[in-house]
Amino acid sequence: MSPRKGTKPIGTPSTYEAREKRFYDAVSLTKPDRVPIASFAVMFLTRYSGLTNAEAMYDYDKMAKVWKQSTQRLNWDMAPLHQSMFPGPVMEMMGLKAFKWPGYNLADNALYQYVENEYMMADEYDEFLADPGSFTIRKVLPRMASVFEPLAILPPLPFFAFGYSVFTVVSTFAGIPGFPQMMETLIKTGREMNRYNAAQAQLVKDLTSMGYPCITGGFTFTACDWLCVLLRGLKGAMLDMFQQPDKVKAAIELLVPGTIGLAVAAAQMTGNRRIMIPLWRGAAGFMSDKHFAEFYWPSLKQLLLALVEQGITPMPWFEGDYTPRLKYLAELPPGKVAGHFDRVDKKKFKEILGNVMCFWGDVPPQLLVTGTPEKVKDYVKELIDFFGDTGGLIVDGAVEGIPAEAKPENVEAMTEAVFEYGVY
Amino acid sequence: MAKDLVNTLADLKEKEALKIAEDRLSAGEEPLKILEDARKGMEIVGKRFADGEYFIPELVYSGEILKRITETVKPKLAKATKIKPQGKVVFGTVAGDIHDIGKDIVVFMLDVNGFEVYDLGVDVPAQKFVEKIKESGAPIVGLSGFLTLTYDSMKQTIEAIKVADLRDKVKVMIGGGQIDEEIRKYAGADAYGKDAMAAVNLAKKWTGKE
Repeated sequence: MSPRKGTKPIGTPSTYEAREKRFYDAVSLTKPDRVPIASFAVMFLTRYSGLTNAEAMYDYDKMAKVWKQSTQRLNWDMAPLHQSMFPGPVMEMMGLKAFKWPGYNLADNALYQYVENEYMMADEYDEFLADPGSFTIRKVLPRMASVFEPLAILPPLPFFAFGYSVFTVVSTFAGIPGFPQMMETLIKTGREMNRYNAAQAQLVKDLTSMGYPCITGGFTFTACDWLCVLLRGLKGAMLDMFQQPDKVKAAIELLVPGTIGLAVAAAQMTGNRRIMIPLWRGAAGFMSDKHFAEFYWPSLKQLLLALVEQGITPMPWFEGDYTPRLKYLAELPPGKVAGHFDRVDKKKFKEILGNVMCFWGDVPPQLLVTGTPEKVKDYVKELIDFFGDTGGLIVDGAVEGIPAEAKPENVEAMTEAVFEYGVY
Repeated sequence: MAKDLVNTLADLKEKEALKIAEDRLSAGEEPLKILEDARKGMEIVGKRFADGEYFIPELVYSGEILKRITETVKPKLAKATKIKPQGKVVFGTVAGDIHDIGKDIVVFMLDVNGFEVYDLGVDVPAQKFVEKIKESGAPIVGLSGFLTLTYDSMKQTIEAIKVADLRDKVKVMIGGGQIDEEIRKYAGADAYGKDAMAAVNLAKKWTGKE
């Protein structure tokens, strides 16, 4: 891809406060002055400025520089999710096995991807349920990153040190094979991570002073995905649903407070009360409506309600087809949840959720990658015509926001269309 | 009365299905007949999946039950017995993408429908597809991909097949989360399949088995 040519911001200028208000107006189903455009974009922003995905993950300063350039040029209402640009050097130093990424073990312009393995085995539920802390440290971490492999030797944590043994355990850290080395690596990796965090914090400051609110203050996961995707993996989790459903439910329940806590902590740390929640296994096709109601929805609803109660705007990312699930989403409080949609029947959406949730989406990736600016503009205009009567619309690409491979002229056309047709 | 293995498997009653298979085996029944019933059960599973009654968890579970029945029956199978495959298919997730869920499901459904599938895994370079087509002589190629970067990988893979002078010898199907008819045209494939059953139907059509 050749780097973008223009530098002049698309559309009309705005302020930080006006952009935030526009976004929240749409979320709360109040007509804003204009249809907001807010995207997760991920790796499009850096590709748009000519960086490969590998460069963007390995050079924090270059990444931040082009992030600001692209943000200014596209002039959206929210700056995309900078935290989704993971730190390649840190991941490499810790021997991360749970991801593959460009610049390391994937091609330079591939997307980083989670390796969906069994990090918890089918016969380990009891151990996990009895002591999730020990299980995570002794089993999950060593399986996910090689730097943590020595941790597998630790005893269950409640028995690690008490009474007379409280001072003797320190020898573990110096004497057990692999431990001193692990700690040295962790200190080095930690310093690198601090460097990344500092660059990210500076980026937020810069974007803020440029007048662009950051789209989120962090993310959390819903408990069913945490268990079924991040710990057990698809095949394992789906067999568990039939072979040990009660344990699956118990593990999900155990994880719920953590899913809420993660979001609250992120919002407190960043002062940004918008929290993204990527959703994976709840889409139509992945499970029946019966399984959705049984395994997926209860903990997701619990999470969303808890966040709303704490004054946080949850941004669940409904990836895949959610049409059959709209009836569940109708149980949520109106105007409080900023759902992002991928593939959904829009007529049904309006009918079932029109008074509950703003529609955030859904310019298809196929159109952005292979289509023409005219076709993109037509699509956005149709979206605005369809949802414009209530004002419950935020424009973005569908599944992953804007795909990295999107044609720059198509993304620019999508943006122009919002400024052109979106003024109420 | 012999309990019905076909329907027990189709209804995903794991323990019951296994027990029937074991009982029939110890009653001296021909192992191939038991496997044939299991296959019929899987056909019903596939149909229920296509009809929107079953979803991925049901497919995965039926696969597990089938695997266990096959493990039980196999030791009794005469060594030379091999069911003649319907046709050969080369399959893989294209370069740059490591997602295997969609691919695994399609490979599994092709397999239970009697196709011999060469599963090349994930992040498969174009050249590897070409080599496997040459080596196996398979007339069907399936390209899977979840990420948008696969649009180009699919296009490049089909291009490589063309360059190797194999394009008129194979039919290419593509599929995955963000794949549609537009991408079929973009990549130059013969067909796009919405789900695993669509892939099976395409393969049957292309091998003249339908």
